[in-house]
Amino acid sequence: MGCLFVSRRGFLSGAAAAALLPVIAPARAAGSAKQVRLFAGVTRLPLAGSGYPQTGVWAYDGIVPGPEIRVRQGDRLRVSVENGLAEDTTVHFHGIRLPNAMDGVPHLTQPPIAPGSTFVYEFDLPDAGTYWYHPHIRSAEQVGRGLYGALIVEEREPISVDRDIVWMLSDWRLLPDGRISDDFDNLHDMSHNGRIGNTVTVNGRVADVFSVRAGERIRLRLVNAANARIFQLTFAGHRPRVIALDGHPVEPHEPEGGRIVLGPAMRVDLVLDMTGTPGERFDVMDTFYRGLSYRLLELVYDQEPLRKAPPESPIALPANTVPEPDAASAVRHEIVFNGGMMGQMMMRERGIGGGDMMEMMALMRSGRIWFINGKAAVGHVMEPMLTLERGTSYVLAMTNETAWHHPMHLHGHAFRVIARNGAPTRYREWQDTVLVAPREKVDIAFVADNPGDWMFHCHILEHQESGMMGVLRVA
Amino acid sequence: MMRALAFLTAALLPALALAEPAAVTMYVNPQCGCCEGHAKHLRENGFKVTVTPTHNMSLIRRQHGVAEKFEGCHIAFVDGYIVEGHVPAGVIKKLLSERPRIKGISLPGMPEGSPGMGGVKAAPFEIMEITDGPPKIFAVE
Repeated sequence: MGCLFVSRRGFLSGAAAAALLPVIAPARAAGSAKQVRLFAGVTRLPLAGSGYPQTGVWAYDGIVPGPEIRVRQGDRLRVSVENGLAEDTTVHFHGIRLPNAMDGVPHLTQPPIAPGSTFVYEFDLPDAGTYWYHPHIRSAEQVGRGLYGALIVEEREPISVDRDIVWMLSDWRLLPDGRISDDFDNLHDMSHNGRIGNTVTVNGRVADVFSVRAGERIRLRLVNAANARIFQLTFAGHRPRVIALDGHPVEPHEPEGGRIVLGPAMRVDLVLDMTGTPGERFDVMDTFYRGLSYRLLELVYDQEPLRKAPPESPIALPANTVPEPDAASAVRHEIVFNGGMMGQMMMRERGIGGGDMMEMMALMRSGRIWFINGKAAVGHVMEPMLTLERGTSYVLAMTNETAWHHPMHLHGHAFRVIARNGAPTRYREWQDTVLVAPREKVDIAFVADNPGDWMFHCHILEHQESGMMGVLRVA
Repeated sequence: MMRALAFLTAALLPALALAEPAAVTMYVNPQCGCCEGHAKHLRENGFKVTVTPTHNMSLIRRQHGVAEKFEGCHIAFVDGYIVEGHVPAGVIKKLLSERPRIKGISLPGMPEGSPGMGGVKAAPFEIMEITDGPPKIFAVE
């Protein structure tokens, strides 16, 4: 392999880890919101490491990922966003159940933040967990160039761990001179699996090693901030347990085959017990794409153990405050995804033909490539695909009649994933973004308790921008 | 560690004139099913095909000056020519025997009934010359 970028630089050595992770500890003023300022602007960063060209990025406060915002469950947060870009922007606080006007969707929930302008977001944090923030306007390019950061809402009584660490996973399409390739929204990416890059970073740097200590217990918060790349991580020699998905607690469990799958925008909280011995090294691999597996980084054990064995204290998290959907009274809606490359073949397989198919094929040739219930969106403002009665439970039964994966994100709510291909899920996990495989059927259930017009879209950002977006109205 | 820019060396070198059977290097999206079907069709017709999955499809096309209007699904390199999309083996053989002064040929889109795609052919396939000039049909199948 003629790898352009090769370095053996150490990354996130144990003691230095905390210093490398920018943490905003908002000043606590009794009775008032925690204050955070974000400046969206342009800068240059050494994504690939020393000895390689720097990359011009768009970043919050000049760093990628942007400042890690840490608050406590029940806090109120005020984020003042100043736009130093040459184009409009907004910020969406992904996964937070907040008032509609604070949701950061351009034209639908707020006017865009013009260059030089400031917008203040302010909302309460009802749920603990791992969340993130990113723009929601021209997001394929704005996220693809580096605008995102973690939003961590700590439990009032967190579980006991030695380190609480975020790995924000990003994916860049870099040219040999270090520049970000400007081929955003090209036809291949939009019609296939989105803009998948050639350089993966962990917390904004190409990672080589992650230092750990024998006997240590780490809470590892994984955030997939990539436009389109799906990660499937394996931790050789270790048995990570999943304790939360998309911020929300789940019964602690080892994932099937030890494989941790994160579609774009998804988060997984792991408890990683360091059961190795001093000096040992273990690969963390990403094995999602056939024939394109690679090592994300190596876990390297320090010579000094922390203790003999990791602690055995409980790791289950306290439940969040999401209202429980009522299965008996839930109103069911069918939702079908069509389009994309091989979409015609898939429609034929499913017995869809005639006028419906011809209409979709014609739209696909005009760049409207993905369809939710036969509609391909243009922009964020549209007639709602469904109007939901506030306080009522709903089941959305999604069928993916495309040849591609879709991480489907609902704003303003969390939902339970209750069935896959007709079989009940084991953990009935709460999510805000659910990965739906080709040909798969996924049922989600939730209480429509948050009034407003909410986006429901694929979080492969190239799919979203070429039509895979709808609005659910809760009234 | 992920610095997979290896395609820059691999894909930039046009295949050299090789002894029979003609060697085809095909770059495919790792999640695409139909590309492998096309590779099988070419193998059955005497080509030696190497399939390489990559995330860099749009970059490879850019480097070789293949405009979006020519886009099929995958891109292949054979004997100094670009072959874009599900071009039937017979047309590639015609290309290699006539050796016109063009970059390559393309069957844009993914027409039903083309080799590897399955389905029923609805209309004759128009295989285009890949050029920077006005569109020109290389063959009709």
